[in-house]
Amino acid sequence: MKNKLIIAAVLALSPVGVVLAASNNTGCGVGSIIFKGQSGVAPQVLAVTTNGTLGNQTFGISSGTLGCAKDGVVNTPAMVSMFINTNLDKLAHDMAVGNGETLESLASLIGVDDAHKAAFFAATKSHFAEIIPSGHANTQYVIGALNHVLASNSELAQYAHLV
Amino acid sequence: MSRVVLLFMLGMFCIPAPTFAAANPYLQELIKRAHAANLAAVPEWLALVHYRKNLLFPGVTGQADDPHFYLAPDGKTDPGAELDATLRAFFAPPVVETDTVQHPQCRFIARYVWLKRSLHFDPQRLPPQRCERFRKWRAALNASALTLVFPSAYINNPSSMFGHTLLRVDAPNQDERTRLLAYAVNYAVGPTNDNGMFFTLKSLIGAYPGLFSISPYYVKVKEYSDMENRDIWEYRLNFTQEEIDRLLRHAWELGPTRFNYYFFDENCAYYLLSLFDVARPSLALTSSFHGWVIPVDTVRSVVEKSGMLAQVVYRPANNTRLRYRLTHITAAERREVRRLAANGARNPVLQGLPAAEQAKLLETAYALVRYQDSADRRDHLAAARLSRELLLARSRLPAGKDEFEPPMPAVRPDQGHKTRRVAVGVGRRDGRNFQSLAVRPAYNDLLDPSGGYTSGAQINFMDIALRHYQGSGSAELERLTLVDILSLSPRDAFFKPVSWKINTGIARTRRRDGEHVAVYHTNGGAGLALGSWNNMVAYGFFEGTLDIGTQLHSDFALGAGPSVGLFIHPLTPWKLNLFARAQDYAVGDKHGESEISLAQSISFGRQQALRLTLSAKHERGKEWRTAALDWHWYF
Repeated sequence: MKNKLIIAAVLALSPVGVVLAASNNTGCGVGSIIFKGQSGVAPQVLAVTTNGTLGNQTFGISSGTLGCAKDGVVNTPAMVSMFINTNLDKLAHDMAVGNGETLESLASLIGVDDAHKAAFFAATKSHFAEIIPSGHANTQYVIGALNHVLASNSELAQYAHLV
Repeated sequence: MSRVVLLFMLGMFCIPAPTFAAANPYLQELIKRAHAANLAAVPEWLALVHYRKNLLFPGVTGQADDPHFYLAPDGKTDPGAELDATLRAFFAPPVVETDTVQHPQCRFIARYVWLKRSLHFDPQRLPPQRCERFRKWRAALNASALTLVFPSAYINNPSSMFGHTLLRVDAPNQDERTRLLAYAVNYAVGPTNDNGMFFTLKSLIGAYPGLFSISPYYVKVKEYSDMENRDIWEYRLNFTQEEIDRLLRHAWELGPTRFNYYFFDENCAYYLLSLFDVARPSLALTSSFHGWVIPVDTVRSVVEKSGMLAQVVYRPANNTRLRYRLTHITAAERREVRRLAANGARNPVLQGLPAAEQAKLLETAYALVRYQDSADRRDHLAAARLSRELLLARSRLPAGKDEFEPPMPAVRPDQGHKTRRVAVGVGRRDGRNFQSLAVRPAYNDLLDPSGGYTSGAQINFMDIALRHYQGSGSAELERLTLVDILSLSPRDAFFKPVSWKINTGIARTRRRDGEHVAVYHTNGGAGLALGSWNNMVAYGFFEGTLDIGTQLHSDFALGAGPSVGLFIHPLTPWKLNLFARAQDYAVGDKHGESEISLAQSISFGRQQALRLTLSAKHERGKEWRTAALDWHWYF
C-alpha cells in the first residue's frame, strides 16, 4: 500500500507526457518545391511551444533567400503550392461545400476575377473526386488535377497556367 | 539550427566598414546640425535604436543584444555616438546588393529615412541608394493596414499560457474572406527542440535569441486555430499610411537583429509594442510596462488609446466551431454524426434525409474526423480515406452556407478583468480573528469575474498573502504560491480531454503539536471533468503532495489521495466552488489530512469582486475551521 502510494504521488507530481511534436509542415526545397502529405499535430500536454518555433514556413525578415522565400515573402511561383500544401484539409472541405474562406483565398491567389468566382467554386465542387485523391493527398497531384479541371472549362481556362 | 546561425552570419557581414567617410565635409556638416538639433535625444531616435532608460544609473541602454545593430563601438549606451556613426555609414560607397550584403542606408532604412527628413539630406552630396531588396519586400507586402492578432491562451502549453500576440500586415486587395493571404510579423525565439517546460525555464533567464520573422497569415492560423485549438482575436488598428511605412522600415532593420528573449518582460508582446512606438512615438506604449508584460495587457494598452481600434474580428478555433455545431444539432443528429464518423458516408439513414440535412450531418462528421485525427485518436491513413469519402458525398449535394458560425463572445479578451489583483479581507481561524492582505501579479482563477478568459483555465502566479492575527505583534506569511495552474476541460461523448493541476510554493500546514508552520508545498494531479461552464462543472482528481520543511518530522511528507469538486455558475456575477480532498501522507512525516471548502465570489463589474471562503480541515487528529471574506480589486 505504502509503495503504491509513493509511486502514485511521484507520478501525479511529475510532468506527464513530455512529448516533442514533430513538425509536419513541409517547407520549400531550394530550386525545386517538394511536398509530401501531411497530417495534423496533436495538442499535446507540454508539447513544443509554438511561440518559440520558427516553422519551416516562417522566414527571417531581410534575411536573404531561404527556401521559397526572399527576405520573408514567398516567391510568386511557390505561393499557390505553399498555400495548397498548408491548407489541404480546409480546401477540400470548401471545395465539397462550394464556398468558404480557404477556397476564396485560393481563388484570389490565382487571380480569379469576381465575375468568374461562381464558376470556379462550381467547377471545384463538381470535380471534387478528381482534384482530391483518395488516401493521403499529395500537393503536386492536387495542383495538376486542379490545373486540368480549369483548363477544360471554357470560362476558367485562362487561369489554368497560374496554378 | 543552421538557420539561426545563418541569420547571425547575415547580420555580421552586411555592413561595410564605414571609416573612409571621415573627412567628408558634408558629413561633418550633418553631424554638426544633428548635434545642434539634439537629435540623439528625441523620442524617435531613442525608439529606433531601442534605447531604454537605465533603472539605477543615469543614461540609457539599447535592448538589442546584437553588436551588429550598433554602428558605433559604444552605440549600445551612447545614442549620440550611434547617431554620428550612423550618419558616417550612410556615406559608404555603393555596394552590389546580395543576400548577405546591403548598403547601410538600406540595412538601416528606418534610421536613414528619419535622419534624411530631419536633416534634409542633399541627394547630390549624399547620394541615396536604390535598396532593391527592401523595395521588393515592401511592394510584396503591399501594406495598407495593421492588425494586432491575439491567439488566446493555451494552457496545455506553459510557454503560451498567457496568450501570444503577432502583427498582421493587411493589403488593400484583401478582404475578410481572403485575409488568410496577408503576412504576419512575429517576434519569437529561434528554432528550438526544447519542450514547453524547459523552454519556459530557459526563457526566464534570456537564454534564447529572439528574432523577428514573417510568414503567411494562413500558416499562423493553421498553427493556432487548427492545431492548438486557440480562438484568435484580430484587432484592426487605425494607423496612417506613413505610420505603417515607418513600422515596416523598422521591421526590416530589426529582421536580422537578435534581442534576447525573456519570458516575462522582453517577450513577443513587448516587442510588438516597440514597433507601434516607432510607428507613432506619441503612443509611448513600452514605457508603460515594467517588470512583466502579459500579452492581453498589451492588447488592452493599444486598443484603449483613443481612436486606435477600427474593428474586431473573432476567429473561432476548429475545436470551438465543432463544439458549437455539436451543441446546435439534436441528439438524434449527433448519433448520426457519430455513425458517419465511424463508418463512412454509405449510410442508409442518410439517403432518406433532405439534402440540406444530409449536408449538415456530413460536414459535422468531417469536422469530427479531422478533430479526432489531429488529437491522434485515429489511424491517419484511415482518417484521410474517411474524410474524403464524407466530403465526396457532400460535394454531390447542392452548395450551402455554413449556418453554424459561433458568435463572438460577449466579452473580448481586452475587456476581461485586469490581470493584477489585490485582496484585503478579514477572517477567523480556530477562534482567532485575522486581517489579511494578498497580492497576485497574474493572472486568472476559476472564481475571478468571467469573460475574456479561457473557461476552466486557472493560472495564479506569485500569489502572496499575509495575515495578522488578533493579539499578535506582527503579520505572518500565509502563502507564497509561485505557480498554480489548474486546467479543467469537461469531457463529453465527443471530446475526451484530461484535466490536470500543478501548484508549488510556500504554504502552511499543521505540525504534530498543532502548530501552524510554513513548508514548501508542491501538489499536482490528473483527473476528469464533466459539465458545462455555463452552469455547472463537476471534477475529480487523483493528487500527490510533497511538503518539505525542517518543521516536519524527517523534514518532509509525501502523500497522495483523491479530490472532488463542483463548480457552479448560477448567475453571471455569482460563482461557487465546492471542493473536498483527502491526502494520506505515507512517507516522511506520516499523517492523514482531509478538507472541505466552499468558495463563493460575487463580482461588481469586471474589476471588483467580493469572495467568501469557508473551510474545514481535519489534520493531525483535530478539526480546524477558517472563514474569510475578501475584497478583490483588479488593476
